[in-house]
Amino acid sequence: MKKVAVKLGIDSEDLASCVACGLCLPHCPTYRVTQEESASPRGRIALMRQAETTGLIDQEFVEFMDACVQCRGCETACPAGVPFGSMMETTREALAEQTRYQPLWRRWGYRILGCPKILTLGSKVLAVLQKLNLLPSKLALPKIPLLQGRLVPSGRDVWLFTGCVMDAWMRDTHRAVQRVIEAAGAGVRFPDKQAACCGALHVHAGLGHEARRLAERTMEAFPGQAPILVDSAGCGAQLKEYGRLLDSAAAHEFSQRVLDVHEWLVNHLDALPPAHADAPRIAIQDPCHLRHVQQSHDPVRVVLARYVEPVILDDEGLCCGAGGAYSMLHADTAAAVRERKIGSIERAQVQEVVSANPGCLLHLRAGGVTVRHPLEIVDDLMRKDT
Amino acid sequence: MVPVSPDKPLLDELRSIIGDRARAGDFELGLYGKDGSVLEGRPSIVCLPVSTEEVQQIVGACRRHERPFIARGSGTGLAGGAVPVGDPVVIATAKMNKIIEVDLDNRVAWVEPGVLNLDLTTQLKPLGFHFAPDPSSQQVCSIGGNVATNSGGPHCLAYGVTSSHVAAIEVVLPDGTVTLLGDLTPEPAGYDLRGLFIGSEGTMGIATKIAVRLTQNPPEVRTLLLDFSDVRDGAAAVSAIIAEGLIPAALEMMDHRAIEVVEAFVNAGYPTEADAVLLVELDGLAGGVASGVEIVRRVADAHRVGNVRVAADDAERALLWKGRKNAFGAVARIKPDYYLHDTVVPRGKLVEVLEKVYRIADEYDLIAINVFHAGDGNLHPILAYDAREPGVLERVHAAGKAIITASIEAGGVLSGEHGIGLEKRDYMGMLFSEHDMTTQDLVREAFDPDGFANPLKVLPSGSRCSDSFGQHVPEGAWV
Repeated sequence: MKKVAVKLGIDSEDLASCVACGLCLPHCPTYRVTQEESASPRGRIALMRQAETTGLIDQEFVEFMDACVQCRGCETACPAGVPFGSMMETTREALAEQTRYQPLWRRWGYRILGCPKILTLGSKVLAVLQKLNLLPSKLALPKIPLLQGRLVPSGRDVWLFTGCVMDAWMRDTHRAVQRVIEAAGAGVRFPDKQAACCGALHVHAGLGHEARRLAERTMEAFPGQAPILVDSAGCGAQLKEYGRLLDSAAAHEFSQRVLDVHEWLVNHLDALPPAHADAPRIAIQDPCHLRHVQQSHDPVRVVLARYVEPVILDDEGLCCGAGGAYSMLHADTAAAVRERKIGSIERAQVQEVVSANPGCLLHLRAGGVTVRHPLEIVDDLMRKDT
Repeated sequence: MVPVSPDKPLLDELRSIIGDRARAGDFELGLYGKDGSVLEGRPSIVCLPVSTEEVQQIVGACRRHERPFIARGSGTGLAGGAVPVGDPVVIATAKMNKIIEVDLDNRVAWVEPGVLNLDLTTQLKPLGFHFAPDPSSQQVCSIGGNVATNSGGPHCLAYGVTSSHVAAIEVVLPDGTVTLLGDLTPEPAGYDLRGLFIGSEGTMGIATKIAVRLTQNPPEVRTLLLDFSDVRDGAAAVSAIIAEGLIPAALEMMDHRAIEVVEAFVNAGYPTEADAVLLVELDGLAGGVASGVEIVRRVADAHRVGNVRVAADDAERALLWKGRKNAFGAVARIKPDYYLHDTVVPRGKLVEVLEKVYRIADEYDLIAINVFHAGDGNLHPILAYDAREPGVLERVHAAGKAIITASIEAGGVLSGEHGIGLEKRDYMGMLFSEHDMTTQDLVREAFDPDGFANPLKVLPSGSRCSDSFGQHVPEGAWV
C-alpha cells in the first residue's frame, strides 16, 4: 500500500503512557463488534506509535483511525489514565491538515453546521421532501419539522445553549427543557446566531481550525456571568473543553460557566412540583460525552428519580454507536454497536428510554427504540396534575 | 515496483478459506506482534477465523506451506506466549465468541474460545452460577487464553485454577485433525489428556470449543480490607490465617506503592498511608462466613492490624475488587513500562522473599511494586521502569533473574499462573533437570512432532531437535 509522510505530533509522554494491558478492549464499542485489535483503543495507540516512529502512513492507517467513534469509554476504563481522546483528536487534525483525510464535500458538510440560515433552509427542504415521501428510507432520517416557531426568553438567570442540528430538528426538546428550568425558578435566555454550533463534530473530524473559529464565536454570544446550561451532552462536553482547545484565560473562564442542565437542576430540585405515586420504569442510556467525558451522568439519575423509577442498563456505559456524524459515515458499524445497546435495553424491561444527547436520540430512534430526552419526561410528568 | 512477498501463495490460500479475514497489512500485522508482556515479534499473516472448520483449514494450509502457527486470544498474556517468533501465522480466535450451550444438568457451558471470561460470568448470573477462575484481566481475557495458560486469579485459592473448571475441550491438533479431549462423565477413562492440554500454551494445538464447569454463586460473601503499618505484619498474617484452618475465597496483598496507584484510579478509600493491605474475601453459608470473619479479625489483631474495613454492600465490594484488578495497568501512573513476575513461594517464606525483592530492586535502582495472591504464595513483583532510559532493560532483566533465583532458592517455582511462554523459557533449567525437560519435550512431540504449533515457547530451544524454525528471537526478548 502506498505510504505518505505524516507527522502526527502526539505528545511522546502520552504515547508512552499506554502499557497495552488491554483492559480498554471490552469497553470499546468498535472492538466489541469486530473483536479486532485495529478497532481497539490499545491497537489504535500502537498504530499511532508505528506512524510516529516511521513517519509514514498509508490508507489502511487512515481507515483504522477513522473507524473510532470517539466515545472515550476507554478513558474511563484505563487504569493508567491514558488521554486517548486528545491523542485521537491530534491524529485526526494531523491527517486532515497533511493528507486528503477530509475531502472537500465533507468539509463543506461540517461548515454548514455553523451557518444557521443554510442549515434551517436545508432542513426545510428535507422536511418537504420527507412529507412527499421522496427521501430514501435507508437514510433513516428522523421526522424533520417544517415550522418550529421561535424560542421565547423568560429572564436572565441562566443561558440555554441551543446548538446546530438540535435547534434545527429538535427545538421542542429545548422548549421542554426551558419549562423545567422555569419550574425550578429560573428565567431562561438564549444566545444569538453567533453561537450557531459548538464545534464538537469539527474537533472529531480533525478540523481543528474550524472548531477554534466556532469556539471563539460561540464564547462571544454568552456575555455576563450567568451559568450556561446545555441539554446536549456532546455540546456540553465540547463547551467544557474550550479551555483546553483555545488555551486562553477567557476560554477557561467560559468553560467554568458551562453546566449540563441536569448538573444545574440537582441543586434546584426542591422547587419542582412533587411526583406522582405511579412512577414509570425508565431506562437511562448514558451518553458517552456525559458519562466518559464530562463524567457527570449521576445528576440525570438524581433528577429523574424524582419522577420515575430509573433503571440502569447493564452494559457499563458502552456507546450506542451514534458518535455525532459517525452513524452516517460508518452506518454498518454504528448499527452493529446499536444492536448491543438494544439488547441491553430489552433486558432492562422498561416502558421507555431516555438519553440526554440529540445524536443518541436520533440514532436510537432510527433503530426503533422509544426514547426521549430525560427532561421531556420530567416536563410531562411534572405538568400532569397542574 | 512492489516486491512480491514470499507469503503470497500462503496468503492466497488463506484468503480462499476465510476471505478478507486473512490480513497482511503492514500496520495491522504490527498489532498482533505483542501481547500484554514487554516482548515483541511480528507475524507474517493474521487469520481471524469464526469456526472450528476454518481453524482446521488454516492449520492445514500452514502445514502445506510448512509455516508455523500460533493461537491468540485477547492478547493479554504476560509471558509472551502469544508473541509470534519464527514468522508464524497468527490465528486469533477472538471472533469465535459464542456461548454455545448452557447445560445445567451437567453443570457445564460449551463456549467458543474467544468468549471473554467476565462476559461468561455475567451471562450466567441470572442462573445463579459463574466461571470460577478470575484473573485480574478477567474483563478482557478469553476462555481460550485461560485454557492455554491454566489461569488462576484471586479466587483460585479456594476454588482451584482453570484445570479444575474445564471438563472437555475440542481441539484442532497440530496435524489438522479435530478431536475431543476429556468428556462430561464424572470419571473419564484413560489418560487425562484434557489436563495435559490445559496450560500447554498453544504448543499442542488450538482449542475451538470448551466445556467449562459452572460454579454456584455463594449465598453469602464478605470482603474485608485490613491495613498494616508494616508489610511484614501483613505477610505474616496471611500464613497465620491459613494456619488457623481457614481457607478464604481470596486472600490478596498490596504494598504501599500499589495502594497509591490503585487509589488514584478507583477512589475506593484505600488507605494510602498504610504500608500494606490485605483484601480478604470469605464466602459460603452465612454461619461459616460470620465465624470466618471473626477468625480473620482475631489473627489480624495479633499481627498489629490498623483498620479493618468490611465492605457494606455489593457496590463497595465491587469497588475494592476493581482497584485490585486494575493494579497492573495503574502502575503506568508511576512509570510507563513494567515487568511483571509470577513466582510462587511457600507461604511461610513470604516475608523473607518479599524483603529480598525490595533489596534486589534497590540494588538495581528500580521501583518494585507488589500486588499478589498472598494466600497461595503467588508473588507478582512488578518492576516499574521507563524503557526510553538507556540501559534500563538490562537492569530490569538482571533484577528479574535475581528475583526468580531468590524465589526458587526459597523452594518456589517460576510461574504461578501467567505461563512460561517466551519470557521464562530459558529459566526452565533452573527448576528442571535436563532429563525432566527432555521428557516434557517428548510429551510435546507426541502432539506436535514437527514443531508447528507455537514453536520456541515454553521449553528452551535446543533441548530437542524439534525446533526447526531457527533461533529468531524478537527485540526486547531476554532469552
